[in-house]
Amino acid sequence: MKQIILLLSLFFSLYASDIRDVNKTSITFSIPTDKNLIVMQRNCQWCHSYGYILNQGRQNREFWHKLVIRMREVYKAPISPRDELLATEYLTKHFGVKE
Amino acid sequence: MKRRDFFKLSIATSTALMAESLPKMQTKKPIDNREVSTVAFPQKRPLITYSDRPPLLETPREVFTTAITPNNELFVRWHMSNIPTHFDLESYYIHVHGEVKERLYLTVDALKKEFEAVEVTATMQCGGNSRSAFSPTTHGIQWGSGAMGCSIYKGARLKDVLAKAGLMPEATWITLNGDDKAVMSKIESFKRELKISEISDDTIIAYEQNGEEIPFLNGFPVRLVIPGLYSDSWVKMLTNINVTKEYKHYYYMDKAYRVPDNACECERPSQKAQKTKPLEQMNVKSYIGYPTSKTQLHAKANLTIKGVAFDAGYGIKSVMISLDKGASWESATLEEELSPYAFRVFSYKLRPMHKGELTIMAKAINNRGEEQPFAKDIAWNHGGYKYNGIDSVTVTIL
Repeated sequence: MKQIILLLSLFFSLYASDIRDVNKTSITFSIPTDKNLIVMQRNCQWCHSYGYILNQGRQNREFWHKLVIRMREVYKAPISPRDELLATEYLTKHFGVKE
Repeated sequence: MKRRDFFKLSIATSTALMAESLPKMQTKKPIDNREVSTVAFPQKRPLITYSDRPPLLETPREVFTTAITPNNELFVRWHMSNIPTHFDLESYYIHVHGEVKERLYLTVDALKKEFEAVEVTATMQCGGNSRSAFSPTTHGIQWGSGAMGCSIYKGARLKDVLAKAGLMPEATWITLNGDDKAVMSKIESFKRELKISEISDDTIIAYEQNGEEIPFLNGFPVRLVIPGLYSDSWVKMLTNINVTKEYKHYYYMDKAYRVPDNACECERPSQKAQKTKPLEQMNVKSYIGYPTSKTQLHAKANLTIKGVAFDAGYGIKSVMISLDKGASWESATLEEELSPYAFRVFSYKLRPMHKGELTIMAKAINNRGEEQPFAKDIAWNHGGYKYNGIDSVTVTIL
């Protein structure tokens, strides 16, 4: 009897609730393939899509280096010292400006 | 120092600033009409899409011909990737706490039933809207000019909510944050602060946008609306209001969304301003919705130019149109003002007589006499914020 009451109360509480579910949209943003793409794959995508990289505009090495460091220090991305340099190299190569 | 002297000094400073670095610092027209995506996000038509995680969507130019931006076309900007997708409105609440006499746990239902409902029609604009105009390229998403929109919001006054909780004598600031979270748990969430004495009667916790529930990507079920101010503090999915005695120095207050605290709000890339201030009030701005640079028209056919203008709430006095690259200007017709904070629709009729390219420019002037500058006269700032250059589109006359 207790179980039936419990089930009934659960049913009515669900019925009374105002529940909404949303399906997130997922899009693939492609960035150039080279030997350092794996560095981007293992460090950047934890927190954001590649769209964030593609839409920063072209920037110099100093900008990209500072940004990689900021991703580690402020946004806690697990970027090793080695990957810090490789990611900077990748970003400067593909999204850099002439200095 | 007298105000006039200060003005002279600021002109001198900005002139010197620009002269020194002219080859590198040249603000131009923002990127115009990027292609919309083929993919639609929930409750949105396909928009210009910069990122899916977190979602960043821009409204294309042709939408800006009406005072109210349809919900499915309003831009989207989130900072954090972990955005809740499951909502139980029975258990969703805004927690009001800190320096208050009574802690509140306000459900959306309580917000609707226990407080006076207020409607505000207001323009929402990202501080980085039109950022792609700045050169050298600044940090941040290189938005075109569609990170803005105007909606009719309905909700409860923030002041009324704070009054219900009862402010303690030393209550001076509030910290607000939403239910979106960073992926890495150590990261501070997107916290914004408002000084209690500066909260206007028009600042509301909104639960409706254009007569419907707030769309998921615009902050369902409740978001803050602060008419007249850039939208960096219009916190979405609002869940937390902490009343404090002092300013708390959060990352998104102290580091992000700030401009140089000088008269021109400008600086050099090599010598950033030491003192900065929050973005706050929006600059006067206008934007042409029709025609666009893709429009082809026939010579001697009638053309009605349409667009929107807005400012921080002083109201739009006039919108001027130029067909000769700024040499001469004529007044556009202004439609009804829905609210001082709303988009004001302008229109201008003409009949292009000659074949070839025709450049149309629009410039808004507000009731304080402030007018939009030419893009080239807008000096650089590190975040690419507050761009409000004169808009232009170039159409082809066949």
